[in-house]
Amino acid sequence: MAEEKKSKQRHRVMVFESMYPILALMLILVACVELCDAATVVDVYRLIQYDISGVPFGSRFSSLNHHAASLSFQRGADLSRSVLILPLRELDIAFVQDYISQKQSLGGLLILLPQTFRPGNVGGGSLSSENDGFRSLLGQLEKLLVHGNVPFPVYFAFENEETDAMLADVKKNDALGQQATATTGGYKLVISVSEPRKIASPTITNIQGWLPGLRAEGDSSQLPTIAVVASYDTFGAAPALSVGSDSNGSGVVALLEVARLFSVLYSNPKTRGKYNLLFALTSGGPYNYEGTQKWLKSLDQRMRESIDYAICLNSVGSWDSELLIHVSKPPDNAYIKQIFEGFSNVAEDLGFQVALKHKKINISNSRVAWEHEQFSRLRVTAATISELSTPPELLENAGSLSDTRQLVNEDAIIKGVKLVAESLAKHIYGHQGKEIKIFADDSSLAVNPFYVRSWLDLLSQTPRVAPFLSKNEPLIMALKKELEDYTAEVSVQHESLDGSFTFYDSTKASLNIYQVASVTFDLLLLLVLGSYLIVLFSFLVITTRGLDDLISLFRRPPSRKVKMG
Amino acid sequence: MTLFHFFNCAILTFGPHAVYYSATPLSEYDTLGTSVKAAVVYLATALVKLVCLATFLQVSETEVFDPYQEALKAMIGFIDVAGLYYALAQLTHRNISQNHKFQAVGLGWAFADSVLHRLAPLWVGARGLEFTWDYVLQGLEANANLVFTISLAALGSLMWLRKNKPKSLIPIIYTCAIIIATMPSITSYLKRVMGWHFPKIVGFEIATSLVMAFISCQLFIFCQRPSL
Repeated sequence: MAEEKKSKQRHRVMVFESMYPILALMLILVACVELCDAATVVDVYRLIQYDISGVPFGSRFSSLNHHAASLSFQRGADLSRSVLILPLRELDIAFVQDYISQKQSLGGLLILLPQTFRPGNVGGGSLSSENDGFRSLLGQLEKLLVHGNVPFPVYFAFENEETDAMLADVKKNDALGQQATATTGGYKLVISVSEPRKIASPTITNIQGWLPGLRAEGDSSQLPTIAVVASYDTFGAAPALSVGSDSNGSGVVALLEVARLFSVLYSNPKTRGKYNLLFALTSGGPYNYEGTQKWLKSLDQRMRESIDYAICLNSVGSWDSELLIHVSKPPDNAYIKQIFEGFSNVAEDLGFQVALKHKKINISNSRVAWEHEQFSRLRVTAATISELSTPPELLENAGSLSDTRQLVNEDAIIKGVKLVAESLAKHIYGHQGKEIKIFADDSSLAVNPFYVRSWLDLLSQTPRVAPFLSKNEPLIMALKKELEDYTAEVSVQHESLDGSFTFYDSTKASLNIYQVASVTFDLLLLLVLGSYLIVLFSFLVITTRGLDDLISLFRRPPSRKVKMG
Repeated sequence: MTLFHFFNCAILTFGPHAVYYSATPLSEYDTLGTSVKAAVVYLATALVKLVCLATFLQVSETEVFDPYQEALKAMIGFIDVAGLYYALAQLTHRNISQNHKFQAVGLGWAFADSVLHRLAPLWVGARGLEFTWDYVLQGLEANANLVFTISLAALGSLMWLRKNKPKSLIPIIYTCAIIIATMPSITSYLKRVMGWHFPKIVGFEIATSLVMAFISCQLFIFCQRPSL
């Protein structure tokens, strides 16, 4: 009986003792339970990669498999196997420039943009001063990245809760000096995408719509033509995000609305003017307006010679009180004077100003800053209506990351449409100097703000970098159909982009964020499990066979030696 | 992450079974055959349960606790008990004492359960790059399950194999057996209605398994007394 009691007591003691390793494990569990995150996947957009005459620009790499690091890393730490995560708010341009120009090794760069810059995000204009600061910072960053040769992959992503949580974690770890490597755990960012390939033969597509004027019976001479032109494609640091609402979505929308208004006027032979109207949506705008040049050259010579003048629309979406007309012929030229007078009279009626700006064409310089210069080089009178006062540099102002829907004001576009439509109508119908408003509000020919808004919204969600648009891209088909509705004859012209520009694909990818445990953690776990199994083993041996058996497992029986001896 | 983690979780899930076999007198009496037979019976039982579940249960889209569905699941869970009864009572084993018979049967049963339910997720999931605590928790759950199964086998052998039991203890025996047999329903109730997360549930399972093991051990020892 006494023996049983003793064994029961020992049994009880053993039960409590055996709980210790389990308790320890549970304590570790409870302490580390916050690491229970599943893998997250984020859409990321790659920096553009292109060559100009063989000189490489942009980021040359696309795949990524490194640990995450933040700006709080210790000075002098080696970042060649880490991806630096930079939210736009904390961007330091000089720092990025260091890494690019001095070719310091960096595993990769992930730039987090605020949600307000997301295409399709219409709301959120409240913190506009902060947004303006972001826009200028973003502009500087884009300029740096687009015109430099970046030796590491660069990706843009939009901030969301998961990235915020991850960044906070990474910052905390970095501040403690534990930079993420294979032995210390942390976050691993993986983008597995194939090597970017050259785009074989990028095409640029021009769409033209022809609205014939009223030719009198027995009159065989060619009617004069007025052309309205806008380039619809964009270029930006991240081609998958390059929606270009203002440059040049606003121009495209204005052109479509003018086409609609004149198609209404021209549908009735009684109100059809004695001028033909030619509407052209050209591509290749950022690349020295190559599309415009090719389109003009493809036009019949007689047709080209019949063009009285051409109006090019470029960025008419975010101006307030003054619109600029850029010309390349000197201002005292008779045609230019006439055109300008017509426009400024209409502008006065509508309550704003237009100013004339002259820029001479330098034949030796291949840079074509404005679209009208392509016309002028072929001796066609042309002018560009724009809100920009200085000509944009090559590959600038053509749909950058900060050019989103919120930047564009519909009223500005509507005012621009009224300006162009009324001035053209006055010229066509010969009402110069008369106080007649053809496209008055509340008339059947009023500018339709809903039309403007819907096309603007559509264009603000469609990235339009020309080399990445196929020949039968839905947007091109939609624009063609729209012009078919308003004009009599539509033709689509496909050309290939000039050989000096080469583009590479792979613009969009998925980023996988993994939370990894370090090797030391695995070793620790192995140690704990080993000791748990050993304790379990000892406990079971003791309870079922007795303590002596356990001790005898480790001690060789001494009798053997005696026997052999 | 990676094979190291898989190895760790595997020894946590399957190690205790091997340790139990080698540490207790089971290895001395070479009761491997019994364990294997118990594992085969478990496989057959699992198949029957699967067919019954597929036939009678409706799959609900959301994680809503439906009492009727849960009651049905619990009833199908008793097929488990029937299988254990078959393995304990009906199969012919070599001449081993009752003490070791229930242990061997329980061990084989629990090992088959672990392999069937936990090996595949472990192989597929623990080798990935992403680290989660899920597989460690799963291993702990396997441990708790081992203790549960052995307790249930002990109570089962008391119920069906031992004829002379003190009358007062019989209701306690049956109560404990029912509690252990309905553990899956209890955990699913906790998960869905009370909203407990996996770590909490595993902790609860471990605690309950130890309590149950203790109680069944005491009962077994009590019942062994009159025969002395």
